[in-house]
Amino acid sequence: MAVTRYTSMAYKDADDLVFGKAVHPVSYGFGIQVGAGVVIPEINYAPRPGTEKDAEKLRREYVDYISKDILNRAVTAGFPNVQLETEWVSQMNQEKLSGPVVAGQKAICEKYHEEYGVNCAVRHTIPDQREADEGLKPGMGGRSYPEKLFECAEIACENGTDVLSCETVGGKEFADYAVTNGDITAFLFGVGYLGSLDMTYVWSEFSEIAKKNKCIPGGDTNCSGANVSMFMAGGYLDNDVQKTFSAVTRCISAARTLAAWESGAVGPDKDCGYEGIICKAVAGKPTAQEGKNCQCAHCDLQGNLIAQACDLWSNESVEYHPEFGGTSVQCWFGSIAYEAALMNTATQLGQEKTLRDLYMYADRTRGPEAYVLAYDNAYKVGQAIAENGNDLYLRAKAAGLTGAKIILNGYETKELGLTNKQLDTLKSIIKTLEELPDDTDKITEYCTKEYKDSVPNYNPKNYDL
Amino acid sequence: MLSSKGADFSKVLKRYDIDLQVEATPEEMAKKLLPTDPVFNKVAEEVMYMRFKTVGPVVMEALKERDPLDVINKGLVAGMEVVAKLYAEHVYYLPEIMMAAKTMEIGIALAEKQVPGGREAKATVVMHAAEGDPHDIGKNIAAVMMRSSGYDVIDMGRDVPVVDAIAKCVEVKPLFISGTALMTTTMTAFPAVAKGLQDAGLEIPMMGCGGAVNRDFANSYDLGIYSEKAPQTPILAQKILDGYTWKQIRDEWDNIIGE
Repeated sequence: MAVTRYTSMAYKDADDLVFGKAVHPVSYGFGIQVGAGVVIPEINYAPRPGTEKDAEKLRREYVDYISKDILNRAVTAGFPNVQLETEWVSQMNQEKLSGPVVAGQKAICEKYHEEYGVNCAVRHTIPDQREADEGLKPGMGGRSYPEKLFECAEIACENGTDVLSCETVGGKEFADYAVTNGDITAFLFGVGYLGSLDMTYVWSEFSEIAKKNKCIPGGDTNCSGANVSMFMAGGYLDNDVQKTFSAVTRCISAARTLAAWESGAVGPDKDCGYEGIICKAVAGKPTAQEGKNCQCAHCDLQGNLIAQACDLWSNESVEYHPEFGGTSVQCWFGSIAYEAALMNTATQLGQEKTLRDLYMYADRTRGPEAYVLAYDNAYKVGQAIAENGNDLYLRAKAAGLTGAKIILNGYETKELGLTNKQLDTLKSIIKTLEELPDDTDKITEYCTKEYKDSVPNYNPKNYDL
Repeated sequence: MLSSKGADFSKVLKRYDIDLQVEATPEEMAKKLLPTDPVFNKVAEEVMYMRFKTVGPVVMEALKERDPLDVINKGLVAGMEVVAKLYAEHVYYLPEIMMAAKTMEIGIALAEKQVPGGREAKATVVMHAAEGDPHDIGKNIAAVMMRSSGYDVIDMGRDVPVVDAIAKCVEVKPLFISGTALMTTTMTAFPAVAKGLQDAGLEIPMMGCGGAVNRDFANSYDLGIYSEKAPQTPILAQKILDGYTWKQIRDEWDNIIGE
């Protein structure tokens, strides 16, 4: 698949970014149109522990219980669109477990579409079980051999997924070290550069597999890096990672997530990629997001804001179990579907920009990550990426530095509050990033030497270096 | 964009992190916490300020004047205890813990070479991420904290088969084994490990940890105890060292963690 880097913005003005509409909408499944004027609720779930031990039990869990419950609730409460997302549990790398689930979910979507006219589709997110120390590319051997990753993509597509997604792990060996040690250089090199190289490779392959099977190659996320950073930064009672550090890692991660769309993926990307607003601003492709209606999975500091320009609105994930209001998937589907209905009502009444701004202002100053993801600021980070679009390292560095300076400016203009520690960390990040070389060969040489002992799992061959 | 002019966002959100931040600097807080002996003070400061490039010469200098075990316990470990205190007070964060621990380990490696017969660890523990689970960041942080607290850690890595985890415990008979899981479908390995331990006649706690695991689950299988966050692991370890059984840990968990 040909790779085309983004060197200009799909949106000419940040104010054009709004939920439910993307420059390049995507159609698939049974009547689903993403980014074509409505926000679609995307419900994600996990099977009960133990069901993964038996193929028929697992199929029944996903198809007869989870999917059926959700589709019934959609019809019961009058929601016109449903997207199911199945994030494969690790055992589903065996076709005998995953094949019947994919085919079964496709069949039940078709049944409900035909019987009730509900528009529906399924996204299958396959697991990336590659490990840096065992090789990220086919032929490198190892227990978690990379061939399995592409086999999973084939299984999902051949059995009828509508959208193929993945949470790839390229650069994770650096990200883990970077987040726990507060090392922005390691994050930039690992996620911004190496992760983008891996993303380009993986999604070029995925896009071919999807195309061959007439499926949609959706997109990816930096869940394994920027989300680890965000979750460890946590809320106001947490003190593992600085929130300014997390905010800058988010900006850097956008340069990586974008690489999937440059390598044949067409959107929607993954809900857990909070960097989606930046990517959408650059590429114009639809983005899935999660926030206030994913409290079943986690709490973040931008629950309202992150809905500002979403095209799919997700609950992240919930384990299947009974609640007072039905099963957990029914309850959380209701939660995201009603929120999507509010957004779609705003659009129908011509008030979408007003609601977008209400979402945005509700969290704009709740923390530095929310601040830099506010659509006006996110747009500027996107511009920094596009201006350096052909250079994977330089654009990630520009994204991080631009984001950091936006946050500093917010603090200096007294719009955004920071703790002393958050401010110190931010200033240190800016100094570090400004002192790094602009040349990819130089940074590669520097990092290979600098992290030889602290990131022992780094193998340049994983990235063809 | 809507204008926010005149809006009072204090009616919308409250920045508890800013309101409650500790204003004291690490230097100010450390004055009361660092050892008073000048030699140990200097060694402890190396750890507290994470000077991993200079801790070596400072420790070598201290060893000329003090007993190596004292350099470890009253200098290096004392410095790490200051770091733990600053972490508890939200003055230090995880990166400081990681770098201070690295500094301390460099110093200990030098000092213990001069301890006749070597330095004895408090106990040996086995740590692993569950079979099928590639997420090990939490386990890695907990392992650093356990090493910093004086334990020998056998880190089996991630995606560790149940049989391997059991075999390692049979081999080394650790104080306890911990497992981390970020996925609900991999945490089911913990009861299997616990059963294997019991079948092998080992009544050691099987600590269940990680994003997917909650206290109910960790308490649902025999031998199971729960650690919610990495800093709780050394606290629980100390209780096990004091002779608490897994049942007693469970019964008194709230008090132990609250201590």
